[in-house]
Amino acid sequence: MSHLTIAMPKGRIFEEAYQMLIDAGFNLPEEVEMSRKLMIEIPEEQIRFILAKPMDVPVYVEHGVADIGIAGKDTLLELRRNVHELLDLKISECYIASAGLPNTTMNEIAPRIATKYPNIAMNYYKEIGEQVEIIELNGSIELAPMIGLADRIVDIVSTGRTLKENGLVEYERITDVSSRLIANPVSYRMKSARIQELVSRMKKIVG
Amino acid sequence: MSSIKMFEKPLGMRDTFPIIYEKTEEVRQIGREFLRARGFDFIQTPSLEYFDTVGKASAIYDASLFKLVDSQGNTLVLRPDMTTPIARVATSKLLKEKIPLRLAYFANVFRAQQTEGGRPAEFGQMGIEIIGDASVFADAEVIITVIRLIEAFGINKFKITIGHAGVLNCILKDYTESREQADSLRTLLVERNYVGFEEAVESFDLPKTKSDALLQFISEATNFVTIQDIEKYVRKNDALEYIQQLIGLIETAGLSEYIALDFTLSSHMNYYTGMLFEVFAEGSGFALGNGGRYDGLLQHFGNEVGATGFGIRVDRLLEVIPSKPSNTQSIAVIFEEELYANALETANTLREEGNRVTLQSRKGLVDEDAFIKQFDKLVYVSQEDLAK
Repeated sequence: MSHLTIAMPKGRIFEEAYQMLIDAGFNLPEEVEMSRKLMIEIPEEQIRFILAKPMDVPVYVEHGVADIGIAGKDTLLELRRNVHELLDLKISECYIASAGLPNTTMNEIAPRIATKYPNIAMNYYKEIGEQVEIIELNGSIELAPMIGLADRIVDIVSTGRTLKENGLVEYERITDVSSRLIANPVSYRMKSARIQELVSRMKKIVG
Repeated sequence: MSSIKMFEKPLGMRDTFPIIYEKTEEVRQIGREFLRARGFDFIQTPSLEYFDTVGKASAIYDASLFKLVDSQGNTLVLRPDMTTPIARVATSKLLKEKIPLRLAYFANVFRAQQTEGGRPAEFGQMGIEIIGDASVFADAEVIITVIRLIEAFGINKFKITIGHAGVLNCILKDYTESREQADSLRTLLVERNYVGFEEAVESFDLPKTKSDALLQFISEATNFVTIQDIEKYVRKNDALEYIQQLIGLIETAGLSEYIALDFTLSSHMNYYTGMLFEVFAEGSGFALGNGGRYDGLLQHFGNEVGATGFGIRVDRLLEVIPSKPSNTQSIAVIFEEELYANALETANTLREEGNRVTLQSRKGLVDEDAFIKQFDKLVYVSQEDLAK
């Protein structure tokens, strides 16, 4: 059996995905101690997990230092890495939307969009034929319209509570997001049997 | 923009240090001997080409081209691949002298990087093109050559995945209702987005038999074990017969173990008209190379004779090739200045014995201890040593 390196996003998605692997019959310890560890070895299954920032998972997988990984569709769309997208795990489902202050229109001359997804935002507005200026932020995107930095924001929405609490309303729903199982093109070939087996076992759990 | 520091190079440009240089030369030598023995002639084309000829026809995305302007105002490109320049020179000249052509190359190509490191913007490529032979035997020769070439480098864990544009087109056409649907599915396959493929099929609202067939196809098409597996999806046609025959020829050559079938394989360039393949090897995170039949590119240059070939990336090959110790001994001959004549003689004798000899005066050494560590063996030419 070939060794498999799996890149996982830290935090809640890790726990959900890890539980899915256990449900799929992988022999993993129920409790993993993951305080500050960045690597977890599971010798029984010949699996090694690397714990990464969600945005970095596609990078590890593209370069082949991880064979497969679990990444949000948002990061895949944003980074456009050369990886195979194998399975929708249907966990951490949410969507990307544009939002802004209620009853406002976009500035006609140079509408400004604040986002941590500059590529997704740019592509979306291009498609609908709107020329915009993108302002890249790393967090607390909701601030931007409130203090007049941008007309709209493009961000992840899961319940809509954050928007509401900051007095913003959703304008356009851009795309749905969920966690995906991705694979490195070379690993997908060279470790084909192992990866296929994992995919089909996970597929049954997803339903 | 911050000012450029003295040590900096343009994004993606790399220096080739001695160790890599030697390894590259070895690859070149093995490849050259191997390909010449199979009847291929090596060829070189210019580094600069016109954008309107080679640049436009190339399979490489426009954003990856290095562009320059010549003194007449024409846009030039640094060649982004070798297949397109070879197609140019073959159609304009070589095919008039000989047909079919069997050409080989080992050359650097240039692709601009926009984002980050980890990827060179200039790298070596080695490959072959068989131009002017439209038969399945030419395609078989290409695949067998790539397998044998990789073996010649001492690599044994690798896979060639083969698909066929005609088979895929037939499936996409038969099981969708419009050309737009087929095209959007093909785009998703180029991106290797299998999840997106399934979602798209479901969103098309196709008759159940069609959507079921597509979903089943996508779940198994990357991992067909035998050629018979594809037959239930495709009505009998030329493309299917062609690929059956091709697989048969590879079997005859006894190389089936390296082959995997992947009928989702698709290229963003529509000039890949027939079979196409990718080469993967353990040890690199990226594909080693790819190839296929590109009759469409020849048509672009005004010729209908058909062409097929492959290209392998030398930078990735170097990651994968097992390193082997050098068998020449390195010797430093360190001499005192008055004994220069003796030192020359000693060095020459040692070189004739097949050693790699560095001649160094003791006077010119700043740090002798550090210097001598780089050698397997030391020979001192000094008064006391001569006296012995």
